Amino acid sequence: MRIRKHPGRAVRLLAVTAVGALLATVAACGGGGSGEDGNVTIRFDYWGSAERAKATNDAIALFEQANPGIKVESSFSDFGGYFQKLATQVAGGSAPDVLQMDYSYVREYADRGVLAQLDSGEAQVQTSGLSQQLLSGGSVDSKLFAIPIAQNTQMFSYDAAQWEKVGATEPTDTWKWSDLQAAAQKVTDGTGKKVYGLNDFGGVLDWFEVWLRQQGKQLYTEDGKLGYTEADVTAWWKLSDSWRTSGAVTPAEITTKIDGTQENDPVAQKKSSATFGYDSGFTPKLWEQYGRELTATSFPTDTGKRGQFAKPAMMLSIAQRSDNKKAAAKLVDFLIHDTSAGTALGMSRGLPADEKVRELVGATLQGPPKAAYEYEQKVLATLDTAPPPPPKGAGEVKVAFQRVYDDVIFGRATVEASATKFISEAQRAISS
Amino acid sequence: MVHQTLERPAGAGKPAREQGQPRRRYRYGERPGLAYLFLSPWIAGALVLTIGPMLASLYLSFTDYDLFTTPQWVGLDNYRRLFTDDPRFLASVGVTLRYVLISTPLKLIAALAVAMLLNRVTRGSGFYRSAFYAPSLLGASAAIAIVWRLIFDNQGIVDNGLSAIGIHTGGWVASPRYALLVIVALAVWQFGAPMVIFLAGLKQIPQELYDASSVDGAGWWRTFRSVTLPMLSPVIFFNLVLEMIHAFQSFTGAFVVSGGRGGPSDSTLFYTLYLYDNAFSNFRMGYASAMAWALLLVIAAVTAVLFGTSRRWVYYAGDDSR
Repeated sequence: MRIRKHPGRAVRLLAVTAVGALLATVAACGGGGSGEDGNVTIRFDYWGSAERAKATNDAIALFEQANPGIKVESSFSDFGGYFQKLATQVAGGSAPDVLQMDYSYVREYADRGVLAQLDSGEAQVQTSGLSQQLLSGGSVDSKLFAIPIAQNTQMFSYDAAQWEKVGATEPTDTWKWSDLQAAAQKVTDGTGKKVYGLNDFGGVLDWFEVWLRQQGKQLYTEDGKLGYTEADVTAWWKLSDSWRTSGAVTPAEITTKIDGTQENDPVAQKKSSATFGYDSGFTPKLWEQYGRELTATSFPTDTGKRGQFAKPAMMLSIAQRSDNKKAAAKLVDFLIHDTSAGTALGMSRGLPADEKVRELVGATLQGPPKAAYEYEQKVLATLDTAPPPPPKGAGEVKVAFQRVYDDVIFGRATVEASATKFISEAQRAISS
Repeated sequence: MVHQTLERPAGAGKPAREQGQPRRRYRYGERPGLAYLFLSPWIAGALVLTIGPMLASLYLSFTDYDLFTTPQWVGLDNYRRLFTDDPRFLASVGVTLRYVLISTPLKLIAALAVAMLLNRVTRGSGFYRSAFYAPSLLGASAAIAIVWRLIFDNQGIVDNGLSAIGIHTGGWVASPRYALLVIVALAVWQFGAPMVIFLAGLKQIPQELYDASSVDGAGWWRTFRSVTLPMLSPVIFFNLVLEMIHAFQSFTGAFVVSGGRGGPSDSTLFYTLYLYDNAFSNFRMGYASAMAWALLLVIAAVTAVLFGTSRRWVYYAGDDSR
């Protein structure tokens, strides 16, 4: 009987071995190596629209032609999804080699050792032709972790034809917030609330930042604290709230759906005639998609200070754990400095950061990108230097700003209570 | 559940004994090795995909872990913070409880009602059953949630329909008052799975009982209350437990309909959505793990309470004879 038991045990052993072998195979599959025959495959992930993807694919094809040993796999998603995916990939050890980085996340990722240093070492990329002003936006503790591929700036865009029709006063270089309010109100009244004057801007931290800077304040101090108080938030929300009550800006149920995509922009849906935005939003097909032309101009200001700055809109970084840093650096270098890549990319990420590319691209532009380019050239001299990358948690603060503002527009909380709530959330986000 | 799965393959040894060579006289269940072989895919899956990650998350729930750097042990800090220093956590608990309490009963009532109707249908019952079951298969997908979002959105089908008869809601998805109801409706619409189980339960009820009640002159309501409900109570109990657990864990609908934000104004901030947000958007995996374990404990507690009450209202036919 004792011997009889053995087959059972053997089968058990076999089962365990089989499982073990199975797992080993699975693990091996996960490893996914490259580098045979000097050929390497690098991955490049970014966020953006289908239009940007098309331009990017063109540029990548040029890169692969110029570098036969390197193959590039790229993928893109929308902004929110991109960063969720990126965090997961990094945690799982499968971060893309080259990744598009946002100004508000640079510190988050650099401080945690995810990004390779780009001004020395294996992943070094040359930075000639890029202004120091821009590069500072990708530097953390004076080390470069992200290189701006493009710069953009805050802009106000409006449907000039509609404004003229309802008799709204066109913006000038010296226009004030009250001028904007009056004009927006005219659009709403003139169209019988079919089209609102302006997208409600109260929930967007970036526009709040411009408004703060107009008053000599800033979003984050040098040491990474909040540069404003509850009183500032209250004043800002009181401003936008009164515009909403009078109908100058979009009502709550429209505003809450604004998420930065063109599909959900009330201007695209012809429910609003104007919006604050970034000039990189003027993509080549924009006017066809929106069914009308928009005019770009700068923000209104009551203090004479413009508050806008040259923002390193989109930056490229290389993962610290990438096995192919050299190839990755080549791609970054190519996308930023190469003139053919620059022509292919056009204004799809904003005004090219490299001055040589910028001039070249500027001469070939048409339609919305041309308008953005001309706008940017016009305001360039008045732009401030970009503030250093915001502290960790800045991305969360940005989301919280919009979410808490929802309470205001839906009348679920007073402006004061919401401001208190936001400040406490913001402090929690950047301190942990 | 685990118990059942384990028992089935053990029984598979039975035929081998009956037909097999007389020399090997294994008694029932005496060849565990073979059972383990057949079980190995399941065991591998459970260990690697369920138990391993669960233990890892239990460990992480006691740490400060940002996904990128080494977890730092913080003891009970995460749990303490959940209940003392996070208003959004409490908001998400409120939304989830509301959802569970509204969607579970509605879904079960819909399932039972349709099951009783289908039980009477004789022609084409297979077709109807499939038709009503289809949403359950489709419903978990993101695509359906997107369609749902469009239907209930501003100027979607529902909004336009209501506007045509003079009711202006401005779309339910963008309204903090109605957004949760859109997701409830999505859940209720997927009543097919409990319905099929109800249907099977209804078929098990002996016809004699109905005959007897009709001889006694009982009306529809009386028959339903005195025959159908008690006879069906084990199935109702089963569905209730299952659907409630599902409701607590609900994620896809809220994620897609609210665009991943739990808005407007946190009105659809499901527990799981907030958990996801903490883990993957805000780099607080340790905290999110603590949330996951808190949810597990709550579900376990509620399930235990349901089992406790079941003695009072669940009737197992044949219990008396034992």
